[in-house]
Amino acid sequence: MHTEAIDPPGITWLRVSPKYVTVRLAGWALGNLIVVGLLCVPLIVVLNGGWQSFPLWLAVAIPAVMLLLALWRLLLIPRQVRAIGYAEREDDLLIRRGIFFQRTLVVPYGRMQYVDIGAGPVERGLGLCTLKLHTASAGTNAEIPGLPAGEGARLREQLSARGEARLAGL
Amino acid sequence: MKPDAAPEASAGAEAGSPDGAWLRVHPASPFVRGWVALAAIGFFFFRDTFERMLRGGPLVDEQLAGRAPWLLGGGGVLLLLTVLGYILSWYFTRYQVAEGYVRLNTGFLFKQQRQARLDRVQAIDIVQPLLARIFGLAELKFEVADAGESAVRLAYLRMDDARQLRAAILARAAGVVPDPAHPGEAATEAPEHAVLTVPPRRLSGSLVLSEQSVFIVAGGVASVVLSALTENRSFYLFLIPAALGIAAAYWNSINRGYNFTAAISPDGIRLRYGLLDTQAQTLPPGRIQALRVSQPPLWRIFGWYRIQVNVAGYGAAGSDGESSSRTTLLPVGTFPEVLTMLSLVLPDPGTPDPVGIFRAGITGVAGPDEVPAGAGVPGTDDAGFVTTPRRARLLAPLGWRRNGFTATDTALLIRSGRWWRHLVVVPHQRTQSMALEQGPLARRFRVADLVLHTTAGPVSPRLIQAGLDEGRALLDAQAARARAARKRQTSEHWLDQVQALAAEPSSPGGSSITDEPNRQDDRQHG
Repeated sequence: MHTEAIDPPGITWLRVSPKYVTVRLAGWALGNLIVVGLLCVPLIVVLNGGWQSFPLWLAVAIPAVMLLLALWRLLLIPRQVRAIGYAEREDDLLIRRGIFFQRTLVVPYGRMQYVDIGAGPVERGLGLCTLKLHTASAGTNAEIPGLPAGEGARLREQLSARGEARLAGL
Repeated sequence: MKPDAAPEASAGAEAGSPDGAWLRVHPASPFVRGWVALAAIGFFFFRDTFERMLRGGPLVDEQLAGRAPWLLGGGGVLLLLTVLGYILSWYFTRYQVAEGYVRLNTGFLFKQQRQARLDRVQAIDIVQPLLARIFGLAELKFEVADAGESAVRLAYLRMDDARQLRAAILARAAGVVPDPAHPGEAATEAPEHAVLTVPPRRLSGSLVLSEQSVFIVAGGVASVVLSALTENRSFYLFLIPAALGIAAAYWNSINRGYNFTAAISPDGIRLRYGLLDTQAQTLPPGRIQALRVSQPPLWRIFGWYRIQVNVAGYGAAGSDGESSSRTTLLPVGTFPEVLTMLSLVLPDPGTPDPVGIFRAGITGVAGPDEVPAGAGVPGTDDAGFVTTPRRARLLAPLGWRRNGFTATDTALLIRSGRWWRHLVVVPHQRTQSMALEQGPLARRFRVADLVLHTTAGPVSPRLIQAGLDEGRALLDAQAARARAARKRQTSEHWLDQVQALAAEPSSPGGSSITDEPNRQDDRQHG
C-alpha cells in the first residue's frame, strides 16, 4: 500500500484482520445481489413475453450497469479493508480509512465518553468484533471494524484506562 | 455543596425555599399545558348544546333526544377523566434541588425518577408561552449534555419561583457554598449587566433582507412571469398558500426574535427575547462549544451579522423555530455588537489584537499577489490567516483567498465564503475530535479538509481546502493545543476558575424577590 497523503508522518498503523474482507463480502453479497436480482425482474418479464412496450436494451442495461458497479465495489473491498488502520498514540487514538475518500481521525482519550464493542453474525463466526468510540459529538463516528476479539477486548480496556486517566469534561 | 441536606418529604413546603424539600409545580400548570385538549373535548361534545342555548331553542334536538344524554354523559366522563389525569400527574410530579443534584419524580402508573448533576448544567431556560404568561407562570428547562430533550423541565412554576430556582441552581452549579451565617445569599440572583438589545426595526430589516426573502421574491417573479407567458391564471393560485407560509415564517421570526436582549452576569450570558412567547436563556461560562458569525450577501449593505452557537444541551437545530432561536446568540447585530458578544463568549481571546483578527476572520481576504504564482505556498494575510494555497484556486475560484484558519492561544478560527461570509470559532478545550478528509480531486491539488467535531448544533466547523502540509501540521498542533487547554480547565464549577467573579459583591443588583432568607437553610444551619 502506498503511503497515504493525509496521514501524520511517522505513524505505524495497526491493520485490522484480513478476515474482515469476508465480513464485507457477506455484506456486499446481501446488498448488491438483492438489488441486481430485483433489477433483473423487468428483463425476465420481457424475455418471457410480457410487458412488450418495455425496450429490451433498457431491461438489459439496468441490471448490467448495477452489476458492473457492484463488481467494481467488490474489487475495491480488499483494498478498502487494507486501508483501515489505527494507531494508539500517547494522548490520542488515530483511525484512518478509505482509498479514494480518505479520512484520518484523531480522538483524544480524554474526550471518549464510552466504548462499544459489537459483533454481527458473520463477524462473530470469524471471531471478529467492531469497536466504536463515542465522544460528545455525533460527528466523531470513530469505528474500528474487523478487530480480532482478543485485540478488541485489549483495546477496549486500554482505551478505558487511558480515558479515565485523562478524563475531561465537555 | 451540603452533603447533609436530607431530602425532606415536605410536600406542602413553602415554594420559596427550594432547598432539599420536595416541591410540586403550580397546580394550574396541567391546565395551562393541556388547555388545547380540554377545549377540543369541550368543543366536540358540547358545541351542539351551546349553539342551541344561544339560539334559545330546546337544549336537545328532537331527533337526537334518545342519544343526546349518552353523548353528553360520555363527553362529561371523558372530560372528567382528563381532568383527573391532569390532577394525578400534577400530584405525582415533584422536584427537589439538594446535594448537588436536581431530582424530578413523575408519573403515577409508570413512575420515573430522574436526577441530574447541577455542575453538569449546560444551560437553563425560562420559557413563558402566551397563556402561561397571562397567568404569571413560567417553565424552567434544565439542560445537560444530551443532545435530545431537556433533562429536567418544570412546567409551570410561578415566575418568581422559577427565577429563584434558576438562581439557586446556578449558584450551586457555580460552586457557591451556602454560607451558614447568611444562607439567603446562596440563592441570590447574580447581578446582570445589559450588553445589547436588537431594535425591532433592525429585526424586521434583517428579515426583509434575509435569504428567504430573496427566494420568495424570485419565486413570486417566476410565477408571475410564467402566468403572463402562458396566459394561465392558475399560477396565481400557487401564490396564496406560499404567501400564507411566508407570513407564518416571518411572524415566527418576529415573535421569537422580538426585543432580543443580551446581558452578562457571573452566572453566564443571559438572553431574553420574544413578543408573545418570551424566553430567557442562561448560558453559564464555558458552555459554548462552537460559534459561527455569518453574513448573508444582502446584510452587507448595513453591515449586519448573525451569531449561532452549539450548546451541548440544546442539540441540533431542527426544523422547528424553537431550537433554532435557542441556538442563536445574536439574531442580527453590527460589527461592534458581534465583537461584544465574542468577548462574552471568549473572555480571553488569546491574542493581543482580537479586533483585528476577528475583523480579518469576518471580512478579510488574503492578497492575491503575496505569493508568486505557482509557488504553491498558502497565502497569509496580515492577521495571520492561512488560506488555501494558490495551486488549488481552481477548486474554489472565489473562495480560495478567503478559506483559511488561524489559531489564537484559546481558540481556532476558521473562515470561509466570499459571498456568504462565515467565521467559525472553536475554543481549544471544546474540541472533541478531529479528522482530515481528502477526496480524489483534493488529492490532485494536494489539499485536504479538516473537520472539527463538536456537539450537535447549527455550527459544524470545517476548514475547507487547506494545503496538505498546513492541514497535517494543524491536526497535530490542534491536538496538542486542545490537550493543553483541557489540562488547564479542570473543574466544572466555574467560580473555581473565575475567582474574580466570586469576589464581586452580589447583593445590590439582586432583585427584591431573592432578599428573603432561605428558610430551609436557616433550619439546617441555625
